[in-house]
This record gives sequence, structure tokens and C-alpha cells, in this order.
Amino acid sequence: MTTETLVTENSSRNNPVFTVLIAIAAWIVPGLGHLFLRRWSRAVGFFVAAGGLALAGYAMHGQAFKPGSGDPFGTLGFVADAFSGAFYFLPRVLTIVRPDLSHAAGDYGTRFIAAGGIVNLLAVIDAYGTARGERG
Amino acid sequence: MTAEAIRDSHFAAMVLFALLVSVALACLGRQTLTGRIKFALWSFALFLVIGVGVAWLMYPFSR
Repeated sequence: MTTETLVTENSSRNNPVFTVLIAIAAWIVPGLGHLFLRRWSRAVGFFVAAGGLALAGYAMHGQAFKPGSGDPFGTLGFVADAFSGAFYFLPRVLTIVRPDLSHAAGDYGTRFIAAGGIVNLLAVIDAYGTARGERG
Repeated sequence: MTAEAIRDSHFAAMVLFALLVSVALACLGRQTLTGRIKFALWSFALFLVIGVGVAWLMYPFSR
């Protein structure tokens, strides 16, 4: 690692705008925050894990919670789902979400989508910590 | 593993869940690539062993 790279990384770590942008990027597309930080394997890992869980959930006809359900569990489900970023919003925009909770697989799918969001929440926290220089 | 296989088989769903969550936990818990691969394999194996073990324990109460 060159001196110039070290100086650039250190100045970036002291920039709160940079760390927040990294966290937002990590939320919008799983792994993107780590990609900007050049943590290649973690970027791929989080993209595959969060994206795979969300897509498998949709394939199993799981239900993605909508905002403003008025139900505490529905709100909690929406928060968990929304942390998938693009994997929550794009399928809704493309209207490929066809929930079917009449079978156990649909119920499992709902949990898969929520798990994808939680995994990406952990990835966002990890990317934020890495951008601040608190993690490797 | 096709979408139909995941929908029709609870075991296939569990295997996929274990695999993907293990990858995420490995990325969070270890710093080196080798450490991550080892951690992911170990976590995946534990998910499966404990999942099947719990299923066997619950089997007598399922009928």
C-alpha cells in the first residue's frame, strides 16, 4: 500500500459524509459499500447472502411487507424487508411479487425475505464500521 | 437447486438458508478469506446437524 493510498484512506475515514454515503450505498445494493471500500470478498459475500435470501423468498412466494400496515408486526416486517434495499424495492416496482401463504413454503419465503434484510442491516453496520476504520 | 425444489422440500429450503446465512456470518466474523471459508463451512455443518437433530427430537410429537 503506497503512502498516497494511506493518506487518502485516512482522510476518508475522518470524513463523516463519506462514511454515511458508504452506509447508504451498502443499504441500496447489498455489498456495494464494501465494494467502494475495496473489500472484494465481503462485497461478494454480502451480495450473494442478502440477495440470495431475498430472491429465494420471492421464488417461494413469500410476502414482502408494505409500509403503513398499522400492525406492529407488519411494521417490524417492513423495516426488516426494506433493509434489503434494491432487493425489496425492485421486485415491487417490477411487480414480480406474488405472495401465496396458503402453503408452508410461502410462509418460509416471508422469513427468507426478512432474513435477507437483516443480513444486509448487519452488512451496512459492518461497512460503516469499516469506513470509519474501526474494522479491517 | 431449482425454485420448485426449494418450494416443495423443506429440507432444501433449510439447506439454502443455512448456506446463505453461513456466508454472511463468515463475512462478519472473520477477516481473512481462508478464515471465512473455514467459518462458513463449520457454520453450515452446524446448521444442518442441529436442524436435523431438532427435527428428530420433534418427530415423536408430530403424530
